[in-house]
Amino acid sequence: MTHKILLPVLIFSLFGGALATRAQQDETNGTLRSLQSRVKRYPEDAASFAGLGAAYLQKGRETGDAADFESARSALEKSLDLLSNDPAAAFATTQMAVVCMAEHRFDDALAWAQKALALGSGDPSPWAIAGDALADMGDYTAAADAYSKLEVPFGSEDEKLAFSYQHDTRMSFLRFVSGDTQDAIDLMNSAVRKAISTHMPAENIAWTYYQLGEEFLKAGQVTAAEKADLTALNWYPGYYRGLAGLAKVRVAQANYQDAIALYMKALGVVPYPEYAAALGDVYQKIGDSENAKKQYELVEFIGRLSEINQEIHNRDLALFYADHDVKLDQSLILARKELEVRRDIYTWDVVAWSLYKNGKTQEAASAISLALGQGTRDAQLFFHAGLIYEKAGDSAKARKYLEEGLRINPHFHPLYADIANEALARLTQKTMPATSQEVSSVR
Amino acid sequence: MFLVTNGEEMKAFNLVVASLFTASVTCGQTLPGTRTPAEQKIAWAEASIKAHADHSQPYNDLAVAYIARARETADPGYYDRAEDALRTSFGLIPENLEGEKAQIMVLQGRGEFSRAFDLARTFNKKTPDDLLLYGFIADAAVELGEYPEAENAVQWMLDMRPGNVPGLLRGAALRRLYGDIPGALQFFSQAYQQMAPTQTEELAWTLTQMADAQLSVGHVDDAEALLRSALQKFPAYYLAQESLARVQMARRHYSEAAQLLQQRNQSFPTAASRYALARAFEHAGQAGEAETAYREFEATAHGQRDSAMNANRELVAYDLDRGHNPAEALQIARGEIAKRHDIRTLDAYAWALHANGQDREAQKQVSKAIAVGVRDALIFYHAGVIAEGQNDLSSAAHFLKVSLETNPEAETATAARAALDRLTAASAEVRSSK
Repeated sequence: MTHKILLPVLIFSLFGGALATRAQQDETNGTLRSLQSRVKRYPEDAASFAGLGAAYLQKGRETGDAADFESARSALEKSLDLLSNDPAAAFATTQMAVVCMAEHRFDDALAWAQKALALGSGDPSPWAIAGDALADMGDYTAAADAYSKLEVPFGSEDEKLAFSYQHDTRMSFLRFVSGDTQDAIDLMNSAVRKAISTHMPAENIAWTYYQLGEEFLKAGQVTAAEKADLTALNWYPGYYRGLAGLAKVRVAQANYQDAIALYMKALGVVPYPEYAAALGDVYQKIGDSENAKKQYELVEFIGRLSEINQEIHNRDLALFYADHDVKLDQSLILARKELEVRRDIYTWDVVAWSLYKNGKTQEAASAISLALGQGTRDAQLFFHAGLIYEKAGDSAKARKYLEEGLRINPHFHPLYADIANEALARLTQKTMPATSQEVSSVR
Repeated sequence: MFLVTNGEEMKAFNLVVASLFTASVTCGQTLPGTRTPAEQKIAWAEASIKAHADHSQPYNDLAVAYIARARETADPGYYDRAEDALRTSFGLIPENLEGEKAQIMVLQGRGEFSRAFDLARTFNKKTPDDLLLYGFIADAAVELGEYPEAENAVQWMLDMRPGNVPGLLRGAALRRLYGDIPGALQFFSQAYQQMAPTQTEELAWTLTQMADAQLSVGHVDDAEALLRSALQKFPAYYLAQESLARVQMARRHYSEAAQLLQQRNQSFPTAASRYALARAFEHAGQAGEAETAYREFEATAHGQRDSAMNANRELVAYDLDRGHNPAEALQIARGEIAKRHDIRTLDAYAWALHANGQDREAQKQVSKAIAVGVRDALIFYHAGVIAEGQNDLSSAAHFLKVSLETNPEAETATAARAALDRLTAASAEVRSSK
C-alpha cells in the first residue's frame, strides 16, 4: 500500500542534486530554512523555488503530513510561474507530478509528467512518474512501457545505474502484480545491488531492502523477509518502514509483543493509519480489546485529519471499515470514490471486499475477478476471493482461492489467516462424503 | 559525442528504429479533450494568464504555445499573436529572458535568421548556461551556413545536458548535413524515445525528419513507413504529407504525389509546396494543372522575393528548369548568397552560375557545399554536370557516380546515369583515338 506513495518521492531523492535524501528531519528542516531564506532574497530565482518545493515534498515524505504537499505545490507553482517553457523547468514540472502522485491525483500526475517530458530536458525521470500514475490507474501495460524508458543509453555509468535502479524497483512491482513473484524478488535484489554500488543515501538503500522484505513476506518467505528488514534497519536505524516491515514479520512468527513494540516505534515516527490498524489487529489477536479499540480510533482520527488526508487514505479507510465491520456503508462510498481515480487491482480488491461486507455478493464477485485479473499471487486477494465465492455459493472456487492464499503465505494476517483456515475447514466439511448414519437418518 | 558513429552504434540504432515501428502507443494517454499539444499549451497559458495577469511568464508561455501552433498548422498568423503576447510580457518585465527566447523563436519562424542569430548570441553571452539559447544559435547558424558555430553550440547542449531532446534533434540535423545518416537517425530515435506520447506533433515531426533522412539515401520503403506512422500520430500533418509526396515522386508515382500535395495545400500552402505540386502535376502529365500551379507558385514566390520568408531557392530552380530565365535565376541566387551560404543556397547559386556559363565559379561554389560533408544526390549531380562543363571529366564521372550511389532513387538518377553513359562513351572514344 505504501509502495505507491513512496516511489515517486524517491525520484527527487535520487536526482535532486543538493537535496539528495537524508531522511533525518533536522537536515531537511535545515534545507528548508536555507531555501526559504534564499527565495526571500532572490524572489525571481525559479531554481530555488523548485528546490524549496522538492524540500517540502521530502518533509512530507518524512512526516506523512499532507500539509507539506500543499506547501510544495505553492513553491513549485511559483517556480513554474518564473520559468515554465525551458528544459530547466523540467525539474519543477516533474516535482509537480510527484506532488499530484502524493495527493493521489493520478490523472494530473500523468499530465504533469508528460508536460515535463515535453520540455525535453534529457532527464528520463518523468517516465517513472508517468508509469506510476498509469499503474495506479490500472494500465499496467502502459506503465511497463513508460518504465522501459528509464533504461537510458547515455550518461555516466552511475547515472545509467541509477535509472536502471528506478526501472528495477518499479518493474519489480509490476512483475509482482502480474504474478511473477520470483521475478519481482530478483528485480528488487538487483535494485538493492545497484543502490549499494551507486552509493545511494542510506535511506534509499533501506527503502529498497524494506521493499524486498515486503516481497519476501508476500511470498511467504518469512526468514528472508526478516533478514531484509533487519538489513534495512541496519542501514538506516529507526527507519519507520523497516520497523513496520519487521513488525509484520514478527506477527508471522507469532511474536506479538515484539510486533507491538515495533509498530509503536513506527507510529512514533510517522502516524500512518495502516500502522495503527495493523497494531490494533495485533492487540486484537492477543485478546487486548481495549488497546485494539484505541488503535482503531486512531486510524480514523489520522485518516480524517485534513481534507488531503481523506483523499490519500480513502482506500485505507475503506479497507479498515470493511475489515472491522464498522461503517460499512461509508466503506463502500469511500471505495467507490477511490475507484473514480484509481483502477488498479488493489482498489478493485477493496471495492470487492467492501461490497462483500455490504452483502452485495454478486457485485463483489465481479469486482474481485477484476482484482485477480492480472494473475497476482497475493494471499490477501485470495482470502477475499475465497470468502466472496463461498458466500456466492461457488465452493470450488472458494476452496481454490483460500488454499492458494494459505499456501502462498499461511501468516498473511494476524486475524484473517485463522478465518481463512476456518472457512477452508467449513468448505472441506461441506464437500466431504456423507457418513452412512447421515444417509440413513430420516430427519 | 556526436560526430562519428560506428558499427555497434548502428546495430543499437537499428534496434531502436525497429522498436519505433513496433512500439505500442499504450502510453499515449491524451490530455483532456481533443486538443492538439499546442492548443493544450495555449489553454494552459490562457488559464495561467487569468490567474496571474500581472506576471510576464504566462504571456511568454502563450507566445511559445502560439509558435508551436504555427508549426502544427503552417499558419504564419500565429507569429503575430505570439508577438502580441510578448509585447504584454515585455510591458510587465522589459527584456525578460524567457520573453527574449520566445522572440528569437518568432524570428526563426519568420525566416529572419540573421537577427535571430545575433539576438541568440547576445543573450547567450549574458546567460551562458541556458540550453535553448545554444539551440537557437545552432538553428540560425545552420540556416546561414555557419556550420562550425552550429556544431559548437549543439555540442555545448549535449555536454551540458546529455540526452536532452532539443540537443539531440539539432545534433541529428547536423549529422545529416555532415553526411552521417546512420548517426543522424540514431540521434533522432534517441530523442523520439524520450518524447512524451502526448507530444504528437513533435513525434510526427521527428518521424518526418527521419523519413527525409532515409529518403535522401534511397530507403524509400523505410521513409514511407515512418511517414505513415507520423500521420497516425498527427493526422493530416502537412510536413508528413509533403514528405510522403517526395516518396511518391521517388517511386515515380506522380499522380499520387500530386494528390497528396493538393491535400497539403488546402490550408496555408507555402510557395515551396505550390512548386512541389506544380512539378508533380508536370511529371504526371497533367499539363493544365501544372501550368496553373506554376503560375500560382510564381506569383507567390515573386511576391516574397524580398521578404525574409521567401522561396528564392525554389524560384532559382524554377527559372532554370522551366522558366528559361537563367539571368533572373542568377540574380536571385546572388541576392541569396549575399545573405547566407548554407549548402542549399550554395548549390542553387552554383547551378545558376552553371546555367549562365560560369562553370569555373560554379565549381568553386558547389565544392564549398560538398566540403561540408553532405551526402545529397542532387548536389553531387550538379557537381558532376558542372565539372563536365569545366571539362574535368574524371571529377564529373566521380560526382555522378557518387550521386547514384548516394540515392539511386533520386529524381536526378536518370539524368545522372545518362550523363555518366555519355562520359563513359566519350572517354572510350578518346582512348580508341589514341
